[in-house]
Amino acid sequence: MLTKEIILHAADGLHARPAGELVKLVKSFDGTSVTLSAAGKKANAASMLGILALGLKSGTPIEITAQGPREEEAAEAVYNLISQL
Amino acid sequence: MQQIHTSVSIEGMARGTAFFPDRSPECRGGTLSWDEAFAAEKERLGRLAENAADEMKAIFTAHLEMLEDPMLQETVQAHLQEGLGLPQAIDAAADQLAALFHEIDDEYLRARADDIRDVCRGLRRQVEGATPNPFAGMPKDAVIVSEELFPSDTAEMDFSRVRAFVLRRGSRTSHVCIIARSKGIPVLLGIDIDAICAGDPLLIDGAAGELTVWPTPEEEAAFLSRMEQSASETALQLTGPDGNPVRIEGNAGSLEDIPPVLQAGAEGIGLLRTEFIFMESDHLPSDEEQLAIYREAARLCNGKTLTIRTLDIGGDKSLPYLALPVEDNPFLGLRALRYCLRHEEVFKPQLRAILRAGADGAVRIMFPMVTSPEELREAKALLIRCRDELRAEGLPCADTVPAGIMIETPAAVLMAPELAQEAAFFSIGTNDLTQYIMAADRGNPAVAYLNDPMAEAVLRAIGMTVQAAHAAGIPVCICGEMASHPAARLRLAALGVDSISLSSPKTIGQLTHS
Repeated sequence: MLTKEIILHAADGLHARPAGELVKLVKSFDGTSVTLSAAGKKANAASMLGILALGLKSGTPIEITAQGPREEEAAEAVYNLISQL
Repeated sequence: MQQIHTSVSIEGMARGTAFFPDRSPECRGGTLSWDEAFAAEKERLGRLAENAADEMKAIFTAHLEMLEDPMLQETVQAHLQEGLGLPQAIDAAADQLAALFHEIDDEYLRARADDIRDVCRGLRRQVEGATPNPFAGMPKDAVIVSEELFPSDTAEMDFSRVRAFVLRRGSRTSHVCIIARSKGIPVLLGIDIDAICAGDPLLIDGAAGELTVWPTPEEEAAFLSRMEQSASETALQLTGPDGNPVRIEGNAGSLEDIPPVLQAGAEGIGLLRTEFIFMESDHLPSDEEQLAIYREAARLCNGKTLTIRTLDIGGDKSLPYLALPVEDNPFLGLRALRYCLRHEEVFKPQLRAILRAGADGAVRIMFPMVTSPEELREAKALLIRCRDELRAEGLPCADTVPAGIMIETPAAVLMAPELAQEAAFFSIGTNDLTQYIMAADRGNPAVAYLNDPMAEAVLRAIGMTVQAAHAAGIPVCICGEMASHPAARLRLAALGVDSISLSSPKTIGQLTHS
């Protein structure tokens, strides 16, 4: 298991379109699960509903947790995507 | 009669008969398993998404994604393990997930709760077996009255029979409201629907947020005349940030262009180009010759406003008998108003003819290619001089005609606050403005990517112009090609543009009739 921390900088928070991109990315690491935690809530990063329901806003610290055969790669990719929003 | 008010609505006026959709399921008891219901619903949504048009397609595709979302499945499974039956587990999951979204401090995301409940409702219907179409048996003038409406409902109703939605729950950003807006259907939200019975005659005024149940004949007559009066406005899907509809006007490049755009519903001629008069002539047209044409144009307008733009030559347009100078850089040269101010023998006959046409018509004058307040002052001073001369000659003419300007240069945008003090209106020529702001020739394919009226720089320039105009209390029109693109029109409306002037009678018809 691998954990990384990042702060969301996107001005609009994590909206439907970037959330969709994130889901697509996570699904491409088949067999590796990714979880996002923020403000005491947790969500499966392969779930659009889960991500949106976190209601992430700009400035929120997010913990990325990846588990599985490609956990390092997955955590890195998710980190990069969120940092570019 | 009874009147009910709400502050949450989508504009438009309608008269119709209350219709309650039939939500009762036909047969009871879980007939399908989760896997079967899931597969059937996935197939159904896939079919809806495939067959739907634009706006709806995106919505059903999003619903399909929600259906396949692991969180939905996990939540239903968790409730099944608690011992609930499948239909109840789906309901519980819908409530739980919708509640998550309701808590979010973001209006757009909160509205997605409706989408989740719609997806779950579809699943439930699969589990319980087919239900009849809840909108079967609608009257021809149905006002749909319901606790709430879902996007999938809109796929099942015959919109030719729908006049309005009256709902207890819902938000303006819900997909149902987006669809209603795109179809020009008024919506009232937050209404106590217990006050309404099926078959009740209803009057809906979306702009006022007013519902009348069982109107008296007098109320109905007054409503219908108001509805007729504002028919073109209410059918408009374009509204500005203040909720006011955007006025639709027509462009004309000749007299023949005027009747078709007015018949299509244009509220006036926002731009009458006058180059045709000069191009079809082999000599400089006299003020009498021009007057005949402007009078005819005003007669065709039949009381509606006619905006006449003074000669816009130079740049890429020249005239054989005027011997325009050859310039290295004609778009940055002596064109339009610059040329006219230097050549009073060309300008004065036109100003005189416009003033004379203004004696008995709703005529406005518009100067193209203004770069500084001094130019506008000079043009207005010449206009007054022409009027005084006409009076001295004993020729009937208007005391004054409202004088506005085209905003086409970056300088005019930057000087808009000062120009707005002296102009009666602004009209933004987006073709030239884009070219000058982006410093990109639209005829040059190598830089065509820069010549984009939707570029942020151009939109900001338009926004600045609108702000300056409104601060001074004058209106802003858009008369460039930009307004012929639906997405651009929405942006322009959001920027606060008061009117748009279009060339295509077809588009004008679409925007002025529901």
